[in-house]
Amino acid sequence: MEERPCAVLLKFPGTNCDAETARALEEVGFVTETLPVSALTPEKLVGVALVVLSGGFSYGDYVMSGRIASLVTEQKIGATLGEFRDNGGFILGICNGFQILTQLGLLPPGSLVENASGRFQCQWVRLKNLAPTNPYLAHLPEEFEFPIAHAEGRFVTKEAAEAAAYVENGAAALTYLDEVNGSFADIAGLQDESGRVFGLMPHPERFLHRRDHYDPDWKGAGDDESRGAGYYFFRSLHQSISQSN
Amino acid sequence: MPMSDSPTLSPLDQIAEAPADHYRVLKISDLDGDRLLELSRFMKLSLSREDMLAVQEIYREWEREPTDVELEVIAQTWSEHCKHRIFGATITHEIDGATETVDSLFKTYIRDVSQRIFDKKPGFVLSAFHDNAGFIALDENLAICLKAETHNHPSAIEPYAGANTGLGGVIRDILGAGKGAKPIGSLDVFCFGAPDTAMDHIKAEDVIHPLGVMRGVVRGVRDYGNRMGIPTISGAIQFDDAYIYNPLVFCGTAGVIPIQDIDKKIEAGMKVIAVGGRTGRDGLHGATFSSAALDTDSHESDQQAVQIGNPIEEKKAADFVLAARDKGLIGFITDCGAGGFSSAAGEMLEECGGTIDLDQVKLKEPGLVSWEVFISESQERMVLAVDESALPELRKLADLYETELTELGSADGSGILKVTHHGRTVCQLDCTKLHDAPVRTLSSRWEKKTAAVDAPVLTHAGAALRDLFTDFAIVSREPIIREYDHEVQGNTVLKPLAGASGDAPQDAAVLRISGSERLMSMSVAILPEWGKTDPYAMGAACVDECVRQLVASGADPDRLAILDNFCVGNPEDEEELGALVETVKGIAAAAEAYGAPFVSGKDSFYNYFETEDGPVSIPVTILISGMGIVEEAAHVIGASLRREDSLLAIIGRTGAALGGSVFARRHDLGNAEVPATSFDEAFQCYRQYYEAVKQGLILSAHDVGEGGLAVTLAEAAFSGKAGLEIDLCSLPMDDDASKAAMLFGESPSRLVIEVAPENLEKVAKLFDGLPFAALGRATSRHANLVVDWGEETLINESLTDLKSLWKNGLAQYY
Repeated sequence: MEERPCAVLLKFPGTNCDAETARALEEVGFVTETLPVSALTPEKLVGVALVVLSGGFSYGDYVMSGRIASLVTEQKIGATLGEFRDNGGFILGICNGFQILTQLGLLPPGSLVENASGRFQCQWVRLKNLAPTNPYLAHLPEEFEFPIAHAEGRFVTKEAAEAAAYVENGAAALTYLDEVNGSFADIAGLQDESGRVFGLMPHPERFLHRRDHYDPDWKGAGDDESRGAGYYFFRSLHQSISQSN
Repeated sequence: MPMSDSPTLSPLDQIAEAPADHYRVLKISDLDGDRLLELSRFMKLSLSREDMLAVQEIYREWEREPTDVELEVIAQTWSEHCKHRIFGATITHEIDGATETVDSLFKTYIRDVSQRIFDKKPGFVLSAFHDNAGFIALDENLAICLKAETHNHPSAIEPYAGANTGLGGVIRDILGAGKGAKPIGSLDVFCFGAPDTAMDHIKAEDVIHPLGVMRGVVRGVRDYGNRMGIPTISGAIQFDDAYIYNPLVFCGTAGVIPIQDIDKKIEAGMKVIAVGGRTGRDGLHGATFSSAALDTDSHESDQQAVQIGNPIEEKKAADFVLAARDKGLIGFITDCGAGGFSSAAGEMLEECGGTIDLDQVKLKEPGLVSWEVFISESQERMVLAVDESALPELRKLADLYETELTELGSADGSGILKVTHHGRTVCQLDCTKLHDAPVRTLSSRWEKKTAAVDAPVLTHAGAALRDLFTDFAIVSREPIIREYDHEVQGNTVLKPLAGASGDAPQDAAVLRISGSERLMSMSVAILPEWGKTDPYAMGAACVDECVRQLVASGADPDRLAILDNFCVGNPEDEEELGALVETVKGIAAAAEAYGAPFVSGKDSFYNYFETEDGPVSIPVTILISGMGIVEEAAHVIGASLRREDSLLAIIGRTGAALGGSVFARRHDLGNAEVPATSFDEAFQCYRQYYEAVKQGLILSAHDVGEGGLAVTLAEAAFSGKAGLEIDLCSLPMDDDASKAAMLFGESPSRLVIEVAPENLEKVAKLFDGLPFAALGRATSRHANLVVDWGEETLINESLTDLKSLWKNGLAQYY
């Protein structure tokens, strides 16, 4: 029997999308362990293929979103996540996880700040896949939809030109097709140079099934009509990890 | 200056046996009724003269004096908020001249009605009325529950914090239901003054403008629900001048639990532990505060009763509770809500008895006296009873999830609630005596307020329709809905906004339940406008609408359960109480006819405000919220038009009555007759509709609600799929129904359904002998709503224009 790669979902106080994200990972073939950050040590990442920072409000996000979670992570395991990536590990940050990865400096420089609308926005968005060879996006079409739910998803860089450069150099793997939250260059998701670290504001774990779509007549994605785009996001990742081993 | 004999003493100091300490014994045995009432007011106990005399009598029997802690405990347990004494009162009710006696509204119309339904449906309702929330069976392994609460007074004074902790509190109710249910979805229903209320229209100082209340309340709900990771999927907002001084905030949460974890019990020897936040001076007297009227002073002096929520503290406690439950470590659990430890420990120890040591309680600040520690309603605390052998593992879990666990005491089987502090016994009460409050006697009356009113002649129905789409009752709630994460947990199959365009209104929300093939539908109904003139009709129609929305979304009509949440002004006012009695009768009749039992409920009184011109009361307001079981995902039906070649039909009869409708309010029809609900015919229709759903014959279905048929048709078409061509010639209706009633009347029990052309005949056959008719068709030839009456075109309006009115009505205010 094929060995299932292991994913660890790091859970901070206030992380709240870990259960459905674990469900999504298991559905495509991962074994998962949800690890409260209080129990995090460098040894916990041994033998692990994927570390996931799922959505939520770590520590309430009362100071800058993801800030305290990143400090606690560094305090607990120092530079272990960087080494984990250098050794071939994959790191995924969804929503709050993207914010934390940005704070940890594991993604190209930039910040996720309050939406231009000044509001929390729970809606579906159209996305453009700019990195079809990225391990997370390989099975996704050029355009697809995911839901978002965030108050601080506006990606900004010190100069707008930097964000534009991310689109040019491929760091911006995912962009919004419409104006959503005021993100520079409409950036919705970023990859690092290895392609193994990936952060995105939208929630792929909320769109595993055709029925998760708001339109009851939405026709499925990919080769199985009952599947949603989110399923193919996780399946891409699973396949990339299986091939890399 | 001459020295006075003694400084002025408070009523408390005058009767205290010893100087102020962390607790005091109060000599009440010799006080007369006036002095007892004075004491009750001074201590903010909200106990009446009769209550205080009853307390005095109890202590005379015991041949001792109470401590302040004991009085506070009794006040908490006997408060309207905790004990629902008006629903338990003996009421002499006069209806249209005839007199009847109601021996407890709760027993007669809620509990007994529900019990009869339980008996008819064995195995369906697994728990009702005694736990934090009522449970119904989802499948063989899992049960679902729903609970709704109000947080009106706190939200009036401090909208953000009031609503914030309102939702936080009801979530804890679910965490404390059974041995801990997992919260899976929330609802919120608000009643506000209109957002465009003129400032000089508000006749009292310090009252927050409805816009400020709305923004604060919505953000409060948003920041708690979103941080807890519980989707807010269902809701409603009513706007009416009557709510300017007393806004209403209902928060509800649904949960899921393994059936074997529903029954909980406490046994002698178990340890009592607290988990979660610390205890402070915040939230003192919340329960008694909500059992009294508001006035301008409330905005200053009662601030202490309102707290700030900390959802992350609660999230950590929730993670702990669910993990502990899964490991089988919990014997009993309940939340610290109104009354704090005194209620939680009281509920837990009322039969078993035991000791609570207040020295163990972790405090937010030092120096709290005994009663403050015991009744503080500081948020985010849960109380559990556990086997001593489970403590080490529970401590490990608490460390893992970074929540604080404190051992408070133990259960001992003595039947006595004993509380110690600084080495002394500050409270020692026989729990059975504690829960016996005097039965109140009240009088009420109601007289018919409606009359036949001629319907206005519609000269331009299209203009009337456009006008309705600007009314606050109808305009899209999208700006608010999108502030709530309604998809977290990844199970929201039917979202509050859906359809091909993703922004069309839906009737109910449907959640997938992890671990089951079955789904849960959730909906709410609230029609305060109806109750102003016909509370019985309001009660009946609210149950009907809630049931209809659940059924429309695909739920089995024979597996529904509902909740009743009442908000009332002054129960001592005979007419207000009379309206309540009639409302209760209305919901009871409908619930019994539909076989939809009440499994939980709550009531909130004293929703009136003392202005200089006299009290301003809210109209009697009933929220019916409900849960239903959807057999499989294929049965989930949305409310939006799906095809451009489909046919539309209507189920249900249109009556002549326009009362209670948005149209009637906008056209000043005053006391026009309010529609009655024909339960038997309606329920037969719902069952036949469900047959059609199971046979896969229904594409979409939208309930006819506020705004009537014309608004319903337009809303269905807001999916942008097609235009509509409708002819009302064959509309099933009463002979005297006017065109206004046909287009804009709000007769209950009606559904507009969309079916594929080839299926219409099959569906029609299912409704043989019932009110059903084909109404028209969808079309790709135009994007208008066209409604004809034979040769005459009543309405021909651009759907794009109507949708734009609908979408922008509230957006400019929120």
